[in-house]
Amino acid sequence: MSTVAVTPAANPVAEFASRHAGWLIGLGALALWELAGDYNLVAGGALPSPSEIIRQIWLDRQYLPRHIGATVWPALLGFLIGNTIAILAAITFVLWPPVERLTRGISITIFAIPAVALGPILVLTVDGIKPMVVLAAVSVYFPTMIAMLVGLKDIDPRPVDLIRAYGGTRRHILLHVRLRSSLPSLLAGLKVAAPAAVLGAILAEFGSGQRWGLGTYLLGSIGMGNPARIWEIGLIATAIASIGYVAFALIAGRATARTKQVTIASATPQDLAGTGGFTPINIAYAVGAAVVPFIAWWGIMKWLDLSPIIAKDPIGLWNYFFNARNSAVTQASLWDALLQSVPIALLGLAIGLAVAFGLAVLISTRPRIGNVFLPVALVTQTMPLVAWAPIIVLLFGRDLTTTLIIAASVTFFPALVTILQGLSLVPRSALDVLRTYGASGAQQMRMVSIPSSIPYVMAAARVAVPRALLGVMIAEWLATGMGLGNLLNRARGSLDYGMIWTVAFTSVAISILFYQLVTVVERAFLKKYRAGSA
Amino acid sequence: MPAAVALVAAEAPPAAARPAPVDGIAIRDASKVFSVNREKFEALRAVDLTVKKGTLTALIGPSGCGKSTLLRMIAGLEQADTGTVEVDGLAPAVIRSSGRLGIAFQDPALLPWRSVTDNIALPLQVLGEPVKAAAGRIAHLIDLVGLKGFETAVPGQLSGGMRQRVSIARALVTEPMFLLLDEPFGALDQILRRSMNLELQRILAATGATTLLVTHGIDEAVFLADKVCVMQKGPGRITAEIAIDLPRPRAPELFTAPHFHQLSDVVAEALHGGH
Amino acid sequence: MTKIIDTTMKRRDFLRASVAAAAMGGVASLGLGSRPAFAQAGTLNFQAAWINDAEFMGYFIAIENGYYADEGLTVNYLSGGPDVIPESTLISGRADIALTSPDTTIRAIAEQGAPFKIIGQQYQKNPIGVVSLASSNISSPADLVGKTLAVPPVNTTSVEAMFRLAGVPIDQVRIVPYQFDPTPLIQEEIDASIDFVTAVPYIVEQAGKEPVWFLLYDFGFKIGNDTIVVTEETLANRRPELVSWLRASRLGWEENAVDLERYPAMYADSWFAGTGRSTEVDTFQNVAQEPLQAHPDGYFSMTEETIAETIASLAEVGITATRDMFDTTLLEEI
Repeated sequence: MSTVAVTPAANPVAEFASRHAGWLIGLGALALWELAGDYNLVAGGALPSPSEIIRQIWLDRQYLPRHIGATVWPALLGFLIGNTIAILAAITFVLWPPVERLTRGISITIFAIPAVALGPILVLTVDGIKPMVVLAAVSVYFPTMIAMLVGLKDIDPRPVDLIRAYGGTRRHILLHVRLRSSLPSLLAGLKVAAPAAVLGAILAEFGSGQRWGLGTYLLGSIGMGNPARIWEIGLIATAIASIGYVAFALIAGRATARTKQVTIASATPQDLAGTGGFTPINIAYAVGAAVVPFIAWWGIMKWLDLSPIIAKDPIGLWNYFFNARNSAVTQASLWDALLQSVPIALLGLAIGLAVAFGLAVLISTRPRIGNVFLPVALVTQTMPLVAWAPIIVLLFGRDLTTTLIIAASVTFFPALVTILQGLSLVPRSALDVLRTYGASGAQQMRMVSIPSSIPYVMAAARVAVPRALLGVMIAEWLATGMGLGNLLNRARGSLDYGMIWTVAFTSVAISILFYQLVTVVERAFLKKYRAGSA
Repeated sequence: MPAAVALVAAEAPPAAARPAPVDGIAIRDASKVFSVNREKFEALRAVDLTVKKGTLTALIGPSGCGKSTLLRMIAGLEQADTGTVEVDGLAPAVIRSSGRLGIAFQDPALLPWRSVTDNIALPLQVLGEPVKAAAGRIAHLIDLVGLKGFETAVPGQLSGGMRQRVSIARALVTEPMFLLLDEPFGALDQILRRSMNLELQRILAATGATTLLVTHGIDEAVFLADKVCVMQKGPGRITAEIAIDLPRPRAPELFTAPHFHQLSDVVAEALHGGH
Repeated sequence: MTKIIDTTMKRRDFLRASVAAAAMGGVASLGLGSRPAFAQAGTLNFQAAWINDAEFMGYFIAIENGYYADEGLTVNYLSGGPDVIPESTLISGRADIALTSPDTTIRAIAEQGAPFKIIGQQYQKNPIGVVSLASSNISSPADLVGKTLAVPPVNTTSVEAMFRLAGVPIDQVRIVPYQFDPTPLIQEEIDASIDFVTAVPYIVEQAGKEPVWFLLYDFGFKIGNDTIVVTEETLANRRPELVSWLRASRLGWEENAVDLERYPAMYADSWFAGTGRSTEVDTFQNVAQEPLQAHPDGYFSMTEETIAETIASLAEVGITATRDMFDTTLLEEI
């Protein structure tokens, strides 16, 4: 850094501007926000200015610490529990791959089950802060597990050969290669998990009847017509999540700075290529993976021993959907809702992934500018949608646009972090080759960065599918009053738990379907790009 | 094996604790077929190869002739479809767990997060041998490959040649009785390569390790080997075995000696002279 | 030596076991719950219908002034909220008494055989109404034609009933979801919203707009609200405690009515601490709701006429209520 003085820039102003581009853009945006808020330029004054929000924080200082504490503690517990389980699960999966294949259904179910459906059932089965802890843990499990699994699997095959040549077993490979090389990916997963834990805890607060917590505070405040308060709560939640995010980003920076792979491995790690095809054993595993969640579901219901009005086991749900007096109505309304929700979810997914990819490329090629968007990205993750839905609605109305924006916004952040992770692991030498020939940034991306980060893009797509559906449901619930989200909400209002289970089951089933689809696409890609270069 | 003492620091376990070799490396009638994108590819057909105890055999041949596959079979990294592979009369899986095998690839295959010292210690950890007790030996090996002062550096901070030398030190850390070297000097410049060749000769003389060296360099093969096996591809097979009767120790001057060039020409003839 | 090996083996086995457990962990973690506490003599778990606000003033007073204690009762007050479904809390055994919306409860009894009995009702007239800005000139359901009305999905049935009773075709009104946030109304993004008229008008006024409102009740959808509901089992086994609870709660509401502005301020730092609402709103609500819940026969009353009106109103939206879903005998015992 001291060398700056020795080699002064030709144009000090330009030099300053380019060095501090991120800060300048950030400050500019903040100033615009202040003006827009002060002069009620956005959404008829529903967007409060930063200074109004700060004033509101000062006014609310008496109760804020207690609300914050009541949210942070269960979020932290859930974060620890969920991630511990996720890490141990990923290790188990890589040591005993059949376990992964058999429990895949459960893993996706945990991720895809809509929090809005899980919450009400959770608060009836556990008390105190446990609903928040569990929902936070459930929210972090899948992103972390997938990140860890990708990290454990996407290893350099060369040291593995070496270890095997010395008689090393899977345990040695795990210990000396997989664990350490999964670290960057794991940290990326934890970066996503931090906001997810906060949001999970807040969502659980909505239905828990707790007296304290940011979610509770939001519920009480939402009827008060004071946008500054709503934004205050949302931004505090974001700040908490950001602390987690930044902490893991710093650790990741330290962990990866010196230890980037120097050269590219020309062979595909065998694990990643996977084994496709309709062999009997594969079919057996697929059937097993499909059956296991049902057994777990049935077992849990049996164990909870709740009234059949609330708790539906697989058979109960079957009867509700096919054999009940109202079944025809139920089926018709489900079809209508699916036709409204699923196409929008797919569109939102595509937009979210595209935005994530674009932003990831921007951040990795122009980090100073790209990084400005990260805080904004974080806001979309922790700000409970209830808080900013009015703004989106005021800005974009209550139709397709709003739904798409919400679906894309909940989709893109985990995808962004995962794709960034993939791009950051591209070996130096491979890029150097292209730079030597004067390749542009775009060419480097197309020829090396993108193909070599495909496992990460695919992991991102997997995580994104259930989130897109969830985003659409939330938008429908908050703004448009259509589709699955509305169906779910009306069912809750009329104590129609059969419909709640139907919607939850359907969204999980759709997520699993697309998860498998992504897996098929991934295999095709890997065959073409990775194995082909060996 | 008193010579081993020269290499080994005082705290190393006595070499006599290991059973004496009854034989060298023996491959009989080994064949291997790969399928790439549904096409069969005959990597090896009925290969016989022996490396006598305490000698160095060099494998030379064009790319894709199966020489690396052959070496990987000895390390148990590939299985032969037919035929047998034995080291000291034992199966590869047995021999490699005994710590009697050392291996270095064309690629250094270093763990990017480990320091030079820790990378060299990896085989010991896999074999479950105490690393602390070997600290002196590791320091000596680092010195031997000319990396003194870089003990705590990570691979990203080293040049390609330095990384390659780390991998050679690593191959030697278990004091192997069998060394499998897959183009270990391929990434080095000519000058460094020569000096590494000399270094390897010295080490082998000191340890008496039985060595299989896969190489592209005719001069390297002739300089180091007791026997050069020439391979051809399609299918991969050994087409010539040339005994190298140059006296040991071989000095750098040998590279300019007429007999050296004669032998090199014989090898080159076997390699390029057709099928 | 063998000892050491033994312990490591054990540790490893333990590790393996925990890993296996973790594989199932996502599921297992769902069950780290405690079973609902079973009914304990003298203790009643009371599930409110919303977050702490003036809607539950009488119960707070009964707790603070020891009216429940005088009856030998300990009351555990459970706060509600938009995502708390009081009927579920009853079914799961977490609460013994709950405040509910009559339409939801009766539908659950009629359609799902839920074992509920309604033993009283707090609001004689449902405070749910259509709130709008005076500038929109909305004073009856018919005025909503061509307008946008925000409805909490929970209240959709009630709104359908209102339009049917008023002879207004519902498809001529644009209905969007409502999240109890008055901002869209204040910003005129929507024309009207369905909410408790006991609080929202005040908020709208504070925002500098002039609010108007009418009750669904006044346009023929004659149901009450905050019906007091117990399970048949509780009713059979704990009748004396329920009567005590009704008596003490009624006393709380009577005390509240003496000075409607007194208690909201008094509880600002206890029951209402940190709710995000202001004392002014709670005071406004406490005053505004009083006419909706007072009854010549005392708070919680359900006359035969009231019950008949409820049954008739719900019939309009296809919910079949019957007289036996209501039990007025406890009120008589007070």
